[in-house]
Amino acid sequence: MIYFVRRFAVFLLTLWAAITLNFIIPRLQPGDPAERIVRRLNPNSRTVDPNQVEAVRKMLGLPDTNIFEQYLQYLQTLVRGEFGVSYSYFPFTVTHMIGQTLPWTLVLGAVTLFIGFVVGTLLGAWAAWRRNGPFDSVTTLGATFLGTLPSFWIALLLLYVCAFKWGWFPVGGGYSGDAQPGWNWAFISSAFEHSVLPAVSILLFAPIGWILGMRNNMVTILGDDYTRLAKAKGLSERRIALWYGARVAVLPNVAGLALAVGGILGGSVVIEQIFSYPGMGRLLFEALRDGDYPLMQTVFLFIIIGVLLADLVADFLYGVLDPRVRRGG
Amino acid sequence: MSMLQQGETPTVSDALPLDEEGAVEQQTRANRRFRVPGWLGILWENRKSRVGLVMLAIFLIVAVFAPLFSPHDPRSNDFAPNLDPGSGHLLGTTTKGEDIFSQLVYGARTSLIVGVVGGLLATAIALVIGLTAGYLGGTVNEVLTFFINLALVVPILPLIALLSAYAPGQGLWVVILIIGLTGWASGARLKKAQILTLRSRDYITAAVFAGEGLWQVIFREIMPNMISLVVVGFMGSAMGAIGAEAGLAFLGFGNPETISWGTMSYWANNQGALVTGQWAWLLAPGLALSFLIMALTLVNFGVDALGNPQLREE
Amino acid sequence: MSLLAVDQLDVTYLTRKRPPVQAVRGVSLTIGPGEFVGLVGESGSGKSTLGNATIRLLSRPGEITGGTVSFNGQDITALGEDRLRPMRWRDISTVFQSSMNSLNPVMPIEAQFRDAIQAHSRASNGQVRKRVAELLTMVDIDPSFMRFYPHELSGGMKQRVALALALALEPKFVLLDEPTTGLDVVVQRAILERLRVIQREQEFAVLLISHDLGSVLEFSDRVLVMYAGEIVEEQAAADMLRHPRHPYSRGLLGSYASPTAKTIAITYIPGRPPDLSKPHQGCLFAPRCVDAIPLCRMKAPELLPLGDGLVACHVAKMRAEAGQLPEQQGRSWRTQAAGAVFTKHTVAKDPTGAEDILRFEGVSKLYTRRRGFKTTLVQAVDDVSFVLSKGHVTALVGQSGSGKSTIAKLVTGIERPDSGEISFGDLRVDRLGRRGLRDFRKHIQMVFQDPYSALNPAHTVLSTLMRPLINHKGMSRGQAQSRALELLETVGLTPPERFGQRHPHQLSGGQRQRIVIARALAPEPAIIIADEPISSLDVSIRAEILELLDGLVREQGIAMLYITHDLLSARLLADDIIVLNEGKVVEAGRAEDVIANPQHAYTQLLLRSIPNPFVEETAAD
Repeated sequence: MIYFVRRFAVFLLTLWAAITLNFIIPRLQPGDPAERIVRRLNPNSRTVDPNQVEAVRKMLGLPDTNIFEQYLQYLQTLVRGEFGVSYSYFPFTVTHMIGQTLPWTLVLGAVTLFIGFVVGTLLGAWAAWRRNGPFDSVTTLGATFLGTLPSFWIALLLLYVCAFKWGWFPVGGGYSGDAQPGWNWAFISSAFEHSVLPAVSILLFAPIGWILGMRNNMVTILGDDYTRLAKAKGLSERRIALWYGARVAVLPNVAGLALAVGGILGGSVVIEQIFSYPGMGRLLFEALRDGDYPLMQTVFLFIIIGVLLADLVADFLYGVLDPRVRRGG
Repeated sequence: MSMLQQGETPTVSDALPLDEEGAVEQQTRANRRFRVPGWLGILWENRKSRVGLVMLAIFLIVAVFAPLFSPHDPRSNDFAPNLDPGSGHLLGTTTKGEDIFSQLVYGARTSLIVGVVGGLLATAIALVIGLTAGYLGGTVNEVLTFFINLALVVPILPLIALLSAYAPGQGLWVVILIIGLTGWASGARLKKAQILTLRSRDYITAAVFAGEGLWQVIFREIMPNMISLVVVGFMGSAMGAIGAEAGLAFLGFGNPETISWGTMSYWANNQGALVTGQWAWLLAPGLALSFLIMALTLVNFGVDALGNPQLREE
Repeated sequence: MSLLAVDQLDVTYLTRKRPPVQAVRGVSLTIGPGEFVGLVGESGSGKSTLGNATIRLLSRPGEITGGTVSFNGQDITALGEDRLRPMRWRDISTVFQSSMNSLNPVMPIEAQFRDAIQAHSRASNGQVRKRVAELLTMVDIDPSFMRFYPHELSGGMKQRVALALALALEPKFVLLDEPTTGLDVVVQRAILERLRVIQREQEFAVLLISHDLGSVLEFSDRVLVMYAGEIVEEQAAADMLRHPRHPYSRGLLGSYASPTAKTIAITYIPGRPPDLSKPHQGCLFAPRCVDAIPLCRMKAPELLPLGDGLVACHVAKMRAEAGQLPEQQGRSWRTQAAGAVFTKHTVAKDPTGAEDILRFEGVSKLYTRRRGFKTTLVQAVDDVSFVLSKGHVTALVGQSGSGKSTIAKLVTGIERPDSGEISFGDLRVDRLGRRGLRDFRKHIQMVFQDPYSALNPAHTVLSTLMRPLINHKGMSRGQAQSRALELLETVGLTPPERFGQRHPHQLSGGQRQRIVIARALAPEPAIIIADEPISSLDVSIRAEILELLDGLVREQGIAMLYITHDLLSARLLADDIIVLNEGKVVEAGRAEDVIANPQHAYTQLLLRSIPNPFVEETAAD
């Protein structure tokens, strides 16, 4: 119990640190950030329009007060969920844009994470159990080789071959224009069709870390004394592999889940952009491209919060799976 | 009556791994080779990392002597646009009429600079934070661990993109700096764990009793035992930096005027190279990136095996 | 018919890069039903490899390359795992060397019994629970612990659980591979005694593997001695005790002595075991043997019957043929030692005449231990006083957790006491600041328990030894180098030039410990703290290191604090003994007085817990 309470406290602390980081980043550079943003927005004009600067300042929550008051105000707007208005999607609010894109990324991310984890862990476990056999060599080498390929490059090739050339899948977007978003078959099947290529692009890379991690953990554990004792006990191979090998070897992988969530969300910027997928990654890309500062700040904040929540879930799961941390050790 | 009792710890063998003088001398020599030009000798022994070292050397030569290898100025757009591979241009030309092969050669420079400088920066930060947390321990360790964990979970690519959106400039060096400043966390965690283990060794206490100061303990006693970890960490950071620069440039967040494999991919994609059938424009930089990362991965196999006998083939 | 029969067994470690190592060579042995057999050897002798081979549990790259293992008349040498599996645990079970790690960390204790029981029977969960309760009670553990996870049990409890687990299916044969190594002395003894009682009741056969001839002789019916992959002697325990025939067995037995005697002589065997990856000629023990004759270096002796046992030794055989049986020599085998001898006489030294170096007066230290939200206070040191004086050794004796390590930290200034005074001349050690501590370390040095962790693998011996000389004595590199070579000679590593260039991994454990001692001597300290300096060394060389320390202390007039759990070594080395229990001094005095006439129950318990193969003899004395 202490473990879970402590983990939750750490989560709150990390969340606070992340929110504060998001507050600090725009203020890191010397000079007035609002003024600099305005300069960036109008690269051709030499003078800066003070009204524009004032407007940006309001949008960023950067009033002419001292930094502590700014910080308090920033926290207040966060609690109220007021993230301002997007420049590039005017007149939509940032909140509205996030609401539009979040579900797409959530579904794509969760599904690929789950499949990648399960497939990768299973392949890694099997490779370790049949260590140095042909399956192990092929899997380990294949995963290592695949890991060296740039993901954007693979995604582009998939897009070209499977969509442009062969026309198996749509070339981009989240669903076709004639489908009405909602719980209807036309929309769901269209959305599924559109998400296959992005998902495959992610899934080619997602299992690599799990495969190699699981294999190395399990190879070590299969040499450990308690696994040798399991053999001496005359247990079946299946039981040794699952309950003595894989059961313990999977723990570091579970601990790594949180990092993987960050990886998938980070990678979604590239993948969603290539496939014009209407998720948060693409939204962040566009915000960055268009210098839409309120939007990029908020999307980044959401990504961090998402990662931290995943971290919390992974830690809880770890606590459930490992009695050593659950029951103080 | 009784005997000299066995210890509360298992006894250790009094046997030498190698008994005869010749063998010991031989081992001393092998060991000296391991220490002076560092791990290089050991790396060369491993088949995989030998291949990686050769590949890396080729990239290095190409990057250093880029003007000798490239037939044209990579920025010159004096040629006919959209030429196919062959026809005087090994890989054809871009839509702007630039020689693709020359860009590929110069791109090696960018990637290697990013890898080396970004990797060094990240490794240095990781080392300082890992050393401080691991050696001082206690509250310092807890606070730094908190920040390491925070930095670990924050997605790197969006963070780099966000930072570069606020950065005062768009040059390559800014990108390298940001990559270096963001990519230290996993290295710091590994180094901290290693130092926590090393710190509890008796020889550290012994060094303190031999009158060594804090820095002598760190640099004479701890660091020599961390070489393989530092090298692995550097390789990992270098790979991360190269990948991050390429991804950033591909998204168009780098300086589009820099010649790198990432910007080449960016322009190729931007100009619809695949649709127009200019395969080489997109394939070449992607494969080059892949080979460079592969070279580093292969070298890493040797370094990994150096530090972790479990991974050695039986 | 024998239950387990091993015939001409060879086990080889085959690696791709290094030459094959023949860890077990032509070993034959039999164990009858219900027999308790001991197998003794030092680290690297191949005893664990032999044990694992007999139960077909060798892990790669070890392989049986010759000979057979039969169980109950059935040849199991090449039996497939599928055929072997039904026999495992039901007929043959085991307790591993490091039972600390032999339980699955994520399964409750009960589940680890259940899967073994249900793999071989149709017992219901309820029946299993009843059986587990029975088994745990048998090893003196409350049945409620079956719901716990391994990390929630102490080391001794885990070991008992591992033992109970091995007996779960009432096997016919149990292999015990160093089952108590790593545990506290008192706990070790309790577990072995319990095991012997259960074994007599249930009548299973046991092969007990250990480096400690003392306990093996005490508990076994029959003893096998192994050296460099071969059995060199086999005898009934009682016979072995009275007349060991092989010089190696004699050497091992020579490290036993009565601490109560006026003069104690302990033998050690100089040299080290051979490299088994190289071809050899003659007897493998010959290079370390004092009795060796030219024949020994030419022809390997066979294991032949001699008296009621078997011995592989040319000299023993010749003596027997000449009618010189050890029986007829009475107990003189101890004087014709199988190696060098470290003799300690009780001389009436007058400690009052010696100069006091360090005073430790009324010192207490309280630790706060935090676990979750709970904090507990541990009184690590409670009002302890003693004096270290020039040329004298003071031994601090106690179990783990008795506070002896904390006292070492207090003496060196690493920790500060809550109350009390520690003074070195006029210097108050308990009040030293950072700089003061650094200067103080010129005068106080340490010898560590584990010579493998005490030397930095990255440095050569010479550069390790030069650092204290440069730092504390202000020597130039040249001066430091020549002084370091002298130090190597002082600790008996000659020629010093050759040892100086080596790295620690090229040295044996005993050699490393000598380097550690040389480093401690370098700044010519007034005090040396030796923290269990021999307990992680092989039995045959322990006395050698004790002798070295003894000589150095007397010659150089160093005050030594000798920290140990072992009363015999304390008696050998120390002038005074302080017995410590739970942070308190329970008994202190002249070494021979404390040993000969222990007043406190705890001292008596420690004395009783020492492996004691000579019980009857002592009674007869």
